Amino acid sequence: MTDTAIRLEGVGKRYWKIDERAMLLRSLLPFARPQRTEFWALRDIDLSIGQGDVVGVIGRNGAGKTTLLRMLAGVTRPTAGRLRVRGRVAPLISVGVGFHREMSGRENVYVNGMLLGLSKREIDRRFDAIVDFAELEDFIDTPVKFYSSGMFMRLGFAAAVHTDPEVLLVDEVLAVGDVAFQVKCVERMKEIREAGTTIVLVSHNLQSVRILCPRAVVLRHGQVELDGPVEDAIARHHQILTEEAEAHHGVGEQHYVGGVVVEERELLGPEGPAHYVEANAPMRLRFKARFEREIDSPMFGFSIVATDGTVASRVFSPVSLVHRRFAAGQDVLVELRFTARLAGGTYRIAESMTTSDGLGLLYNSPAPVTFEVGTRHGTYGIADLDAVVSVDGVELRHERTPGLGVP
Amino acid sequence: MAAPSEPVHLLELDDRPDRRRPWFASLWRHRDVLGILARADFHARYKRATFGVLWAVAVPVLQSLVLAVVFSRVIRVGDARRFGAYVLAGVLAWSYFSLTVTAASTSIVDASTLTDKVWFPRALLPTVPCLANLPGLLVSIVCLVIALPFLRADIGPRLLLLVPALALLLAFTLALGLALAALDVYFRDVKFLVQAGLLMWFYVTPVAYSKDLLGALARYADFNPLTGVVALFQMAAVGRQAHWQRPVLVSVVTTVVVMAVALEFQRRHDRLFTDLL
Repeated sequence: MTDTAIRLEGVGKRYWKIDERAMLLRSLLPFARPQRTEFWALRDIDLSIGQGDVVGVIGRNGAGKTTLLRMLAGVTRPTAGRLRVRGRVAPLISVGVGFHREMSGRENVYVNGMLLGLSKREIDRRFDAIVDFAELEDFIDTPVKFYSSGMFMRLGFAAAVHTDPEVLLVDEVLAVGDVAFQVKCVERMKEIREAGTTIVLVSHNLQSVRILCPRAVVLRHGQVELDGPVEDAIARHHQILTEEAEAHHGVGEQHYVGGVVVEERELLGPEGPAHYVEANAPMRLRFKARFEREIDSPMFGFSIVATDGTVASRVFSPVSLVHRRFAAGQDVLVELRFTARLAGGTYRIAESMTTSDGLGLLYNSPAPVTFEVGTRHGTYGIADLDAVVSVDGVELRHERTPGLGVP
Repeated sequence: MAAPSEPVHLLELDDRPDRRRPWFASLWRHRDVLGILARADFHARYKRATFGVLWAVAVPVLQSLVLAVVFSRVIRVGDARRFGAYVLAGVLAWSYFSLTVTAASTSIVDASTLTDKVWFPRALLPTVPCLANLPGLLVSIVCLVIALPFLRADIGPRLLLLVPALALLLAFTLALGLALAALDVYFRDVKFLVQAGLLMWFYVTPVAYSKDLLGALARYADFNPLTGVVALFQMAAVGRQAHWQRPVLVSVVTTVVVMAVALEFQRRHDRLFTDLL
C-alpha cells in the first residue's frame, strides 16, 4: 500500500495566450509570428499519491485543476518537471468520452472501453454490468443521438467506472443524473475505492470531495496552496474565496454608502475561527463597525444564502432596542449569534446596515463570508430540522460519520 | 509484458517527446482503437444512405464517365472504350486519394473533443480515414476488373500490378495525411490549402489524359508523386506505358521521405497538439 501510484516532481505547464487580433493579422501574413504571452497553468507542483489513496483537488476556476488531470491522463505533457503514473488510468472527465452520435449505445460502449484501454473480450465480460448500471436495457441498440442528456451521461459514467482501472481520474461527474443515480454513483465510487483503486477527484462540489476523500490538495494560481486533511483544505479554500472576493471589491472604500466602515470581520465556530462547521453548531459573525458621521439608530441586517442563491435566512435587528445615537468616529463591536441549523452545503453570510427607516443603506457587505456545513446523512435541502424518524417508538438514527467513514 | 497476467502500465512524462520505441509500441498497442474508429467512421458515412457503400463506387464511375466522354472528344484517343478503362483506373485511385487526404488533414483538429480526455497516439486519427475509405476503394477495384472486358481490355496477369499500386497509394495517402493533420493543428489554413491544392493537383496529374499529350512538359509531370501511383493503376488496367520507371521511383521516394518526416513530427508533437485545440 505504500507504493506510489502518482508522483509529480516540480511539474509546470506553460500555455501561450494568443492575441486574437494578431491571429487576424497572421491570416493575412502567413509567416508573421502572432503576439503571444506566456501563462503558467501549473507551476512547481510536487505531489505524491500512494496506491489506493483517494485525493481531492479543489480550487477556483482556472487554478489548474483540469490541466493537472489532463496531464495525469497523459493527454498533455509538462513543460517542466517530471511526472509518473503507475497503473492503468481511466479518466472520467466530463463523461461520454469519445461517444459517437450516429452509433448505438452498444457500439459506443465498445469504442469507449477500447479508448480506455480494454480489449474487446474484457468489454464483453463487463457489458451486461455496464448496461445494467446505466439502466439502459431497452435503449442499448438505439443511436446515442436519440438519448436524453441524462441517459447519455449515465452510459458514459457506467462505461468508465466499469473499466476496473488502477488509477481513476474524476472531474465533476458526480453531478450526473437524478438523485437516485447520484447515490448509485457514490456507492460505485465507494466500491472502486475499496478495491484499492487510486482516485483523484476534481470537483467544485465540496460535499463530494469531503465524502470521498480523506486528503485534498488546494490549488491556487497553478500552485499547491495546501496539501492535507480534507477539512483543512476546504477551510483554506473558503478563506481564499473570501479573501479574493474582498480584494476584488476593495472592502471599506467605495462600497459603503452612508458612512459606516466594517473591519476585522470574522466568522467563529464553536472552537474559534471556522469556515467549516458541523450542522447545528453554534456560530458567530463578529465585526467592528466604525461610524464616520453621526448616525441615529441604525438597523443591522444579515443574510445567509445557499450557493444556488436561495436565502436560507434573513435577520434584522429590532430598531427600538438599538435606539442609540452613534457619534462620528465611534467604534462598536457587532456580533450575530446563530445556530447553523442548515443542511450540508456551502453558504455565504453577508452583513448590512440601514438607517432606522430601512430606506438608506449605510453599509452593504461587498464580500460575503463563505462557510461550509457538514452533511448529516439523510438530510438534504437547506434547513436541518433535527428530524428523527422513529418506527414503533424506535428511533432510526444515521451513523454519525458521514459518507465513507474511515479516512 | 514479461508477466502476461499483470502488465504494468507506466506513464512517465517530462518536457521531452516520447521516445521512439515506446511511441511506436503504443501505436501498435492501440490498433484495436484504430479498427473501431475506422468502423465507426465508415458506418457514420454510409449508414443513413439507402445505397450505402455503393456510393463509393458510383461517384468515381460517374466522374470517369464524364471525363472519358468529354476528353475523348477533346483529345484524339485511339479507342474510346479503352480510354474509358484508362480513365476509370486513374480516377479510382484519385478519388480515394482526394477523399482521404481531405478527411485526414483535419482529423486531429476535428477530433478535439474526443482526444482532450484520453490519450492515444494522435497519428491514429489521420489513419482512420485511410482505413475507412478502403472498403469503397476495394469494391471500386473489383468493379473495374469486372468492367475491363467490356472496355476492350483483357484480363491478364498484369492485374497483379494492382497489389503494388494499392500499396503505394495507401502509403502515400497515409504519409500525406499524417503530415497535413499535424500541420493543421498549427496552421488552420491547411484545410483551405488542401482544397485548393487538390483542385489543381487533379489537372496536373495524367488521370483524364495521357502523359504523352504534355509533350515537353511530360518530364515535369514525372516529378508529381501522384503520376507514378496513377500510372501503376492505369498499367494494371490497360497495359504498359512508356517511361513509367521514373514517376514510380519519384512516388516511392516521396512516400518514404514524407512518411518519415510526418511520423517524426507526429511523435515529437504528440502530447502537445491538444494544447492548441
